[in-house]
Amino acid sequence: MILQTDTISLTLQGNRLLNDIALDVRPGEVLGLIGPNGAGKSTLLRIMAGLLRPETGRVLLDGQDLFTMPPEERGRHLAYLPQEAPAAIGMSVQDVAMLGRLPHRRTASAEQNETAVQQALDVVGMSAFADRSSARLSGGERARVLLARALAVQAPILLADEPVAALDPAQALTVMDLFGQCAVQGQAVAVVLHDLALAARFCTRIAVLSQGRLVSIGTPAEVLTDALFAEVYGVAVRRCGEVAVPWSLVSSARRP
Amino acid sequence: MSRYTLTVAILSAVVLALAILSLAAGPAGIGVVQGLSDMLHGRETIAATIIGQIRLPRMILALLIGGTLGLSGAALQGLVRNPLADPGVLGISGCGALGAVLVFYTGVSAVWAPALPLAALSGAGLATLLLLALTRGGTLVLVLAGAALGSMSAALLALTLNLVPSPYASYEIMHWLMGSLSRASLHDVVIATPGLLIGSALLFSTGRSLDALTLGEDVAQTMGFPLRAVQWRVVLGTALAVGSGVAVAGGIGFVGLVMPHLLRPLAGARPSRLLLPSALGGAALLLAADLFVRLPVSGAELQLGVVTSLIGTPVFFWQVWRLRGRPV
Repeated sequence: MILQTDTISLTLQGNRLLNDIALDVRPGEVLGLIGPNGAGKSTLLRIMAGLLRPETGRVLLDGQDLFTMPPEERGRHLAYLPQEAPAAIGMSVQDVAMLGRLPHRRTASAEQNETAVQQALDVVGMSAFADRSSARLSGGERARVLLARALAVQAPILLADEPVAALDPAQALTVMDLFGQCAVQGQAVAVVLHDLALAARFCTRIAVLSQGRLVSIGTPAEVLTDALFAEVYGVAVRRCGEVAVPWSLVSSARRP
Repeated sequence: MSRYTLTVAILSAVVLALAILSLAAGPAGIGVVQGLSDMLHGRETIAATIIGQIRLPRMILALLIGGTLGLSGAALQGLVRNPLADPGVLGISGCGALGAVLVFYTGVSAVWAPALPLAALSGAGLATLLLLALTRGGTLVLVLAGAALGSMSAALLALTLNLVPSPYASYEIMHWLMGSLSRASLHDVVIATPGLLIGSALLFSTGRSLDALTLGEDVAQTMGFPLRAVQWRVVLGTALAVGSGVAVAGGIGFVGLVMPHLLRPLAGARPSRLLLPSALGGAALLLAADLFVRLPVSGAELQLGVVTSLIGTPVFFWQVWRLRGRPV
């Protein structure tokens, strides 16, 4: 399934948050959405998830308008992983992951649901904790359980908003690697990221947003140029092998 | 048998036993079976009258009102994701009582009987709507708003009592405000039951949405459970159930707070799994409390609402104690 934004724009309270954004997320790819704070990344992702209506333009799922689709069907087609995890839920790990099967309640059998949840917990490495209360997990473990919930939907589209922001490097690598595996298995994955090294390492394509505009889109090598770092982020970088490390601020005169 | 099934089975058995006991308990030594069979065969015996006119309405109302109070507590707690939510604590019952007293005081209910439950459920519904509008402010705002609603309804009720012309009417209102089923009649059953049943059905229908909401509003919406839809069902369900209950039995508090709290360890943390046990538990609690007030203690009959509050406040304190130090 292809998720496509057809030149969407959004103005909220007089602020132009998004301006004519046209991009698509295709099966088999991890699309990274990057940009400075306030660039509109999360807003764009929320529109792509059907949580927010664009002012103009459409969001299309295989050509069909996302906002006219029945909510339950939409729920089977795309899984959304928000930035902020809810406060401690007392439910067991198994029960939390099982919530991902709610959109399938009328279409899947109990065995199919069990299998999907089991697979999702296996993939994130939380099977051994299935019966543990999710309130008694570390931050990283909780993030993985919530990811298992999103994976259990088995949706062709997976949208994640800064999924690694609160994770240590090992957990972040694990989670990003999981997105890569999802893409290999044919899912279309879009991830909002702040860590540019992770974006360069794991994303098939990267879309750069700045002040509500799509500045650049392409492979990491095409997009993550020194000029882009200077213009969009206002930083000069040093290259350590393939990875660019933000090193110093460039003079404010050059910033947009 | 899973722990959930076992919990439901045991609670059902307790409710059944208490319901039978409720029919059997009373100062007149009559046979329950005899009374019921006389009543069903239309024989106008004393036993039939006592069972049919006094004990059966009282049992039915304790069962239904207790059940809906437990249920609405569980649904409200699931909706606002806060263990302090309860129709009594949040002032919903108080506003329902205010609505009922106003139509009682103005005499409208004497002319048109359904006005009483309608006014009570309007009061309860308005209160619930106002609280939901404030829910986004978090726990502290919610509880404070509930306290404000409770104080407001108490003040206006007191004002009404002051203005009531006869001391007898004032005594009537006061008695009823404290929450009681001692004068429950078949007529009460007739006016309250539709609201209690429809409200319960609405509240029971929210289970899956409440489960989805544990992951936050956004995720719930992407899974096909928009917050608005579940909010409306909880508001309408609570207003119908609590309003109808208040209209005939007055303010009975804390049942909705106590039951989810006691049953959560047994039923699990999934909100949908808490609805049925909380309803059964609420029914059992109110049946038991209503049996307790019938015990001949110090001559006078205790008020039902007073007993549930005495049971409920320690649980309330316990919840506050557990929440201390948590950011609000």
